[in-house]
Amino acid sequence: MSIYLPIAELSVNIFLLLSLGGVVGFLSGMFGLGGGFLMTPLLIFIGIPTNVAVATSANQIVASSISGTLGHWRQGLVDFKMGGVLLIGAFFGSILGVWIFSKLVANGQIDTVISILYFTLLTGIGLSMLIESSKVIRDRIRRKSVKQKIHYHNWAHRLPFKVRFYKSKLYISVIPPIIIGFVIGILSATMGIGGAFILIPAMIYFLGMPTSKVIGTSLFQIIFITALVTILHATTTFAVDAVLAFFLILSSVIGAQVGVLAANKLRGEEIRALLAIIVLGVATKIALDLLVEPNEIFNLSVIRLVF
Amino acid sequence: MIRQLSILFYFLIGSLTPSISIALVIGSDQEEIYIDANFSGEELLVFGAFYSDPSQSRDSKSDILIEVVGPLEDVALRKKDSYFGFWLNSKSVTFRDVPGFYYLSSTSKLTNEFLANNQIGLLEKKKSEMIDRSSLTTDWGSVMNEKEKKEFYSALIRTKQNDSLYKQVSDEIEIIDGNLFRSYIDIPNTVPVGEYNVNLHLIIDNEVSQEYSYTFVVTRVGIEEAIYSFSKNYPFFYGLISLIIAIIIGWSGAEIFKRFRKV
Repeated sequence: MSIYLPIAELSVNIFLLLSLGGVVGFLSGMFGLGGGFLMTPLLIFIGIPTNVAVATSANQIVASSISGTLGHWRQGLVDFKMGGVLLIGAFFGSILGVWIFSKLVANGQIDTVISILYFTLLTGIGLSMLIESSKVIRDRIRRKSVKQKIHYHNWAHRLPFKVRFYKSKLYISVIPPIIIGFVIGILSATMGIGGAFILIPAMIYFLGMPTSKVIGTSLFQIIFITALVTILHATTTFAVDAVLAFFLILSSVIGAQVGVLAANKLRGEEIRALLAIIVLGVATKIALDLLVEPNEIFNLSVIRLVF
Repeated sequence: MIRQLSILFYFLIGSLTPSISIALVIGSDQEEIYIDANFSGEELLVFGAFYSDPSQSRDSKSDILIEVVGPLEDVALRKKDSYFGFWLNSKSVTFRDVPGFYYLSSTSKLTNEFLANNQIGLLEKKKSEMIDRSSLTTDWGSVMNEKEKKEFYSALIRTKQNDSLYKQVSDEIEIIDGNLFRSYIDIPNTVPVGEYNVNLHLIIDNEVSQEYSYTFVVTRVGIEEAIYSFSKNYPFFYGLISLIIAIIIGWSGAEIFKRFRKV
């Protein structure tokens, strides 16, 4: 059974869509990630145009990050003030990002740029996850426990415009969080991701936020970034496909909840290593598409229907 | 799929050559193709009869040619080149007023000369010289030399063919009982919306004896149409509604499962 997507202007198998959303949702629920970094390239692999994949993926992340934030919010693990400061940067970043995106669509380089960005990103995530999980597995075998540093003092503490963030027990300049938000905003708008896997380490290492507050706060601000990106794409690139988004959201929300349940029952390291391999597999596929001479070196895109 | 079975018949009798008396009766099973949520492509049936003396079978010298021309569009064709091992888009050519769909079939293989003389066909007529680009306005960009222009032109045809949007065949028209013909034309799910022209030609002794054209339209209907036009006319509210749907499903999903877990 297939469904016609009104904005992508093609029909796809409905079960393929639901299982794609379900699997990405499951992985995101299990690892507490938004899943946009897998959703966008997988949508492109099944033939969805790049601009539709990016814009619709942002819309889907709104749903999955709301699901995720609620739990953290109830436990008081969201630093709204920090989230707000990050959002100031993200606001301008995503406007710039959508502008860059529409320029790239116009001159035909969007596919290439997206491929290179995703290759870099996925290779980075995949390798770091693989190294981290194999280290944990090795340490477990050797029965070692790893001690982690709690607080970092660095350049972020020496800049002007210092503000007190009571929830995170921080007294730092607002400049670093605004810059971080700005960068995440650009990436979110151009790649259709929430950016948690960049945001979370940045918040821990650059801002020195306590780990317990990091996930809730990053999810909280991802809701707003991706919401903004959705609106910006809907109004400038017209690439948000509501039908595609509906099926992806439905299946990914269910998948995410199942993923959360599964995460409590399964041992994390092995699955994390598995996810790392999936991520690296997707990265390899993207690299091959760029490096191997294509069968057809010409590609066609419709600019305008003549009425 | 709402299939309209208003069968249309067109009787075309007249201008008969004195030696061979043949007329054409044609029909089609639908005037509209609807793109709705279940749309996954369609088969368009074009049928008819050579209207000659029923006691005689079809003269072997007469042929039918069916041409379907979709709505016009502007397309950008980009060529990939290798830069430091990476295949990146480089040169780009814009073709204007290109049919979004093109189909040509005939009961027997027609020569390129015939097509050229009667100004039928868009597909490459000869491998080398006789490429007809006259009907297309083109912005060649940085593509300068003739050889490269030809390369781009044939790539335009080829990429459209790969997407099943262009086709030229000579074996898809079925002849039944020597007097009836019928052809199923594949309309893939990627076709553009708009008006399509179906042109039928009766060819006798290598000359077009009769022509008939009719149109059908491909339109979005129901929720597909509503969503598409809403997204174009009210993009801000469209984005907002997409968001609200995401928020509702995201929120309620979490709530439902929370209760589910407590039980």
